[in-house]
Amino acid sequence: MPSRPPPRVDLDLPVEASTVPALVTARRVEPAVLSARALTRRYGAVVAVDGIDLDLAAGDFLTIFGPNGAGKTSLLSLLGGRLKPSGGDVHVGGQRLDFGETSWRGRIGVLSHQSFLYGHLTVAENLRFFGRLFGLEDLDERVPERLEQVGLANRGDFLARQLSHGMRQRAALARALLHDPELVLLDEPYTGLDPHAAAVLRGVLSSLKDGARTVVMVTHNLTQGLELANRIAIQVRGRFTWTGERDDVDADAFEHFYHEVVESGRA
Amino acid sequence: MTYLGQVYAIVWKDLLLELRTRERIAAMGAFAVLAGVLFNYSIDATIVRPQDIAAGLIWMTLVFGGLLGIGRTFYLEAQDGAFQGILTSPAPKDAIFLGKTAANFVLLYVVALLVVAVFTLFFGLHLGTSPALLALVLALGALGFVALGTLFSAVSSGTHMGETLLPILVFPLLVPMVIYGVSATSRLLVGRPVAEVAGNLRMLAAFAVLAVFAGAGLFRYVVEE
Repeated sequence: MPSRPPPRVDLDLPVEASTVPALVTARRVEPAVLSARALTRRYGAVVAVDGIDLDLAAGDFLTIFGPNGAGKTSLLSLLGGRLKPSGGDVHVGGQRLDFGETSWRGRIGVLSHQSFLYGHLTVAENLRFFGRLFGLEDLDERVPERLEQVGLANRGDFLARQLSHGMRQRAALARALLHDPELVLLDEPYTGLDPHAAAVLRGVLSSLKDGARTVVMVTHNLTQGLELANRIAIQVRGRFTWTGERDDVDADAFEHFYHEVVESGRA
Repeated sequence: MTYLGQVYAIVWKDLLLELRTRERIAAMGAFAVLAGVLFNYSIDATIVRPQDIAAGLIWMTLVFGGLLGIGRTFYLEAQDGAFQGILTSPAPKDAIFLGKTAANFVLLYVVALLVVAVFTLFFGLHLGTSPALLALVLALGALGFVALGTLFSAVSSGTHMGETLLPILVFPLLVPMVIYGVSATSRLLVGRPVAEVAGNLRMLAAFAVLAVFAGAGLFRYVVEE
């Protein structure tokens, strides 16, 4: 099978002469499930997220790559309303993330490399607890369904701390999907997983590509990041230094391209 | 209903975790018993009548012992980012605060009753003619205490000083509670008329209501980044 053409940039050219723009504004899509405008977050003098614009439609799976300290996790926290922006705003499903009220949080599901689960509660108890916080009333049906969805139907009565890291991540995914969010945010979901556990999680994550949800994933791992995405962004120093479609990317050449983009972004 | 359901969910979760780990109740209970034993040996009953100072010792034991447990309110929450999970939910911050305060109140009130039992045993106290009123005094004091303790436990857990910072933040604010709590308890223990503690009760109730409302209003500023 012939490889796809390399992305947008002539890899033979020196970075300075490449066409990598300093900032690429993401395409506008209608209707946007997730929309961000001039999103900025500062920590004192440090600008972690620097004026990012973003539009994602239902069915989009965006993977954000970037080196350590690029501001990826800060960006994800801003998109999920876990962090207040210093400037700009975010809309999810047309609803502005307003910190004065919290109903929009029901539109968002978050999976981090931390499970957000209580180790001394069983998996089912954890899901029921978070389900009540989300105001869900059909938990008797919903909890077993989600456990089934992530392949933990027979682990509901296990304490979360008794699970392997891979199983705990799947339980965390069940928690993140419990309320059927339109937008799912994945922050380094594969961290600490062995190859088998990562493959199992990847299988579960692929079920998110149902055309109805919008997914944003942050990762260092180029291979895992490319597998499920249909859109890609590279973030350096708080800015998107490159964005593109997954179909335009040659997976074999992507690592080299990624390093070029990162270096040009740091220059 | 959702709001109350969210408050209830937090209470249920916190009490279930405590039932399983027994970390905080064990620390507070052990402190109460040991303090009672030490105070028992540190007082010369031929010079000082235990009833005269028992109220102050009860409240000091409650404050120091309570802080051991209340200060760890957010310890289990920090493990594996669990509290972040709560913050990603639509539960209002004041509902989270009220839930955690209610759960802490249950724990502290159990400890308060234990403290009274310990001092009754070691000091040979009589609970006066109005034990129910004494229980109410302890409840109001405990409520104000846990409201402030929960709020400042959230503050201190976000600092590198952690639990060390908590007494410095909370003790100055507890002065009104201690003054009115000790005064009401002293009078009830020596069997003074109920009318004499009415003013103290009103002040304790006002302190508790103020602490709960202030905590509920300020909690979001503590936990939001």
